[in-house]
Amino acid sequence: MKKKLQTLAMILAGGRVDELSVLTCYRPKSAVPFGGFARVIDFPLSNLMNSGLEQVAILSQYRSFSLINHIGIGAAWDMLGRYRGVSILPPSTGYGNTSWYKGSADAVFQNSDFIEYHDPEELLILSGDHIYNMDYQDIIQYHREKDADLTIGCVQVPLDHAHRFGLADIDNEDGNIGGRVLQYKEKPDHPEFNWASMTVFCFKPKILLEILTDNAREDDSFEFGRDIIPRMMFEKKKIYGYKFNGYWGYSRTVEEYWQANMDLLGINPKIKLDKWGIRTNLEHRDIRDAQPLKVGSYGEITNSHIYNGCVIEGHVENSIIFPGVHVKKDAVVKNSVLFFNNIVGKKSCLEKVISDVNVTIGDEVTIGQPGPVEEKKVTLLGWNNYFPDNLEIGSNCTIYPQLSPDKIPTKIENDEVIR
Amino acid sequence: MNHQDQPLVLILAGGVGSRLNNLVHTRAKPAVPFGGIYRIIDFSLSNVMNSGMTQVGVLTQYKPLSLMRHLGTGEAWDFTGRTRGIKILPPRTGSQDSDWYKGTADAVRQNIDFIKSHPSKETIILSGDHIYRMDFADMLRFHRLKKADITIGMMVVPKEDIHQFGAGITNKDGRIIEWEEKPKVPRTNLASMGIYIFDTEYLLNLLEEDRKEIDFGMHLIPKAIERDDVFAYPFHDYWRDVGTIQSYWQANMDLLDDHSGIAPESWGIRPNMDSSNTTTADFPPARFLGRSKCQQSMISAGCIIEGEVYNSVLAPGVRVRKNAVVRDSILFHHVDVGEKSKIDLAVIDKRCNIADHAIIGDGEEKNIVNIDFPTHLYTGITLIGKDSHIPAHYTIGRNCIIDLEVQEHHFPGKKLNSGKTVHASKK
Repeated sequence: MKKKLQTLAMILAGGRVDELSVLTCYRPKSAVPFGGFARVIDFPLSNLMNSGLEQVAILSQYRSFSLINHIGIGAAWDMLGRYRGVSILPPSTGYGNTSWYKGSADAVFQNSDFIEYHDPEELLILSGDHIYNMDYQDIIQYHREKDADLTIGCVQVPLDHAHRFGLADIDNEDGNIGGRVLQYKEKPDHPEFNWASMTVFCFKPKILLEILTDNAREDDSFEFGRDIIPRMMFEKKKIYGYKFNGYWGYSRTVEEYWQANMDLLGINPKIKLDKWGIRTNLEHRDIRDAQPLKVGSYGEITNSHIYNGCVIEGHVENSIIFPGVHVKKDAVVKNSVLFFNNIVGKKSCLEKVISDVNVTIGDEVTIGQPGPVEEKKVTLLGWNNYFPDNLEIGSNCTIYPQLSPDKIPTKIENDEVIR
Repeated sequence: MNHQDQPLVLILAGGVGSRLNNLVHTRAKPAVPFGGIYRIIDFSLSNVMNSGMTQVGVLTQYKPLSLMRHLGTGEAWDFTGRTRGIKILPPRTGSQDSDWYKGTADAVRQNIDFIKSHPSKETIILSGDHIYRMDFADMLRFHRLKKADITIGMMVVPKEDIHQFGAGITNKDGRIIEWEEKPKVPRTNLASMGIYIFDTEYLLNLLEEDRKEIDFGMHLIPKAIERDDVFAYPFHDYWRDVGTIQSYWQANMDLLDDHSGIAPESWGIRPNMDSSNTTTADFPPARFLGRSKCQQSMISAGCIIEGEVYNSVLAPGVRVRKNAVVRDSILFHHVDVGEKSKIDLAVIDKRCNIADHAIIGDGEEKNIVNIDFPTHLYTGITLIGKDSHIPAHYTIGRNCIIDLEVQEHHFPGKKLNSGKTVHASKK
């Protein structure tokens, strides 16, 4: 007998988020490296695996290659088997269906046939862009108990930051667990309530497809937060808010992304990679072939995360180091995040830097200014760059990816953008 | 390499390796962990993969479970696909040849059906328990160029070590003209690495000749050298038979020395990260916390270092707690070193728990050999079997052996003197 699919999960991984600057020049935000070995999308994927939800679709449009490569066959998250699978759904052409995804809701709407084919009891729609640990079975359970048309995962944010989010006014029907959504406002200028939508939506598929159909007919905007939830509120659908009280890492800016990285550090970090059971695809970038971290006889490492495949001969402090990074003798790396395959030359000094993959830094290069870390902004190095010996780069600089050597001056002042 | 030209590869992985003492009480020597994330056999398997060979049989006998789990489908070494495959060949009963493997040649002889079912011009036979990198495709070219019946991988070793090996004397052309198995008096320094390329037809004929000849080095190779064309393929790089605790420890330490010549990652050595023994896939990056210090060491993913680690190799999931000091040691998966403990010159197997304030490797009596196994532990290394628990404030000397699954109440007094052994008492 064919097993009836309970929950189909769809991850929205298509959008480009300009705020992450040169880190999202060549990849969607969900494929941005995070945590010293993983990618942002590994968080929802691992959450799904750990929640026992193994039928997953990924909606992807922007620069999908890095993401498709990363997902592979889904085996890394155990999503390979008779009733398990990851499908990547890029925009496609076909009868009556011939456009790019015009928004998050349109991406789902254009794949209505996929949803109808799987015919799940619930449709769980997630963003691929957030860092958190959640057992989705809890929200699904609540959704079922309430017989809701939509249940929104919400997290409390400070009221003065709340204008950046979709906000729900949730009543106390079930105390700390959740309640009925009384009002919903997308990014209001003057927030009056502060339960922010995490972009974790549990829908009744039939109702969602009806609403998506109406929206496609009547509107030319296609976003869940801006269009679909307000439309459902207006139609008095049964919408509940599920109150999540864990860590939710939301990074729209480079500074927020840097802070989320720093949340990995310390004895009792906010992000607990091991307890959360975060998995990544070790085939991607061949990190499975990396040998253990090698610390040289002059190496010094304090309060840092370092994965296999690195060689540390210098000093690393408060930093996240991805596989294949080589920090040479007498180099200092502080408060920084170095993606895959960076080389930091002898006596070079990095302070509050985020460096994308394949960046080579020569000897005696200074990047970022010393001093209290909270008073400076991040200097961001785009991928595939080479910085020659003795170069000086200030704080809050942005260096675009893959610059030809003649584009790089011998000194880059604070706040400069080199493209 | 053209599919039809593919040699068949047989890896001999049945060795007991008894001098590795309790490291091989529950696993065969090729399955012994090495260099944090590897097992010894990963070197042979990766060499085969990187040489482009795709048909492999692994001959197992002694405690094969750990090894079989590790090999899995062979996917880690790219041995799955239409023209690729890895087969595990344990001893079996049948109309003929129903017996345990009695020696290297006997093991191959009992798998003649496997060799015949994988038609090949050449058969490469190698041991699964050495640490090295070698391009077997180059050796195969040499074999074909020389039109040899057998080609043996051989390397120069110090004369005082030659008694452990098969030794060959070659003529100018590289043909082996004399052979001595484990000679007491060295006449040459050219040692066999236990890597053979046979013309397959020649091998099958040779095996048929006399069923009492059960060992390649002792029986078949000397006979072939007298009669036929056996060539030495010279090898000059890093190669270690990690058959003793001392040589096993030294080869691990070589990983920490940039000039030793061993470099698993640049050699292209692949571990199997997905095998059910080790779940490397589940380990996040190594974390360095508080006042940790770490120098001249290899640290695998999933380690948490709060104390000090010097000149040591740590497997995934090892925890070194506050103010603990680990020096010149090899720690396997999930070893937990308690606060203010001191570990000096030890090999500690999986999941051992060292409670706070314990000392392992105390004193300078490195010359007091182990009383039960004087030939196994004589250089000062203390060996702790897997799943053992060392009590808080306990002191253990040099050349000590702690058996597998030893619990706190098994330890005598407050101190174990150098050379002593502690067993888990059986109920």
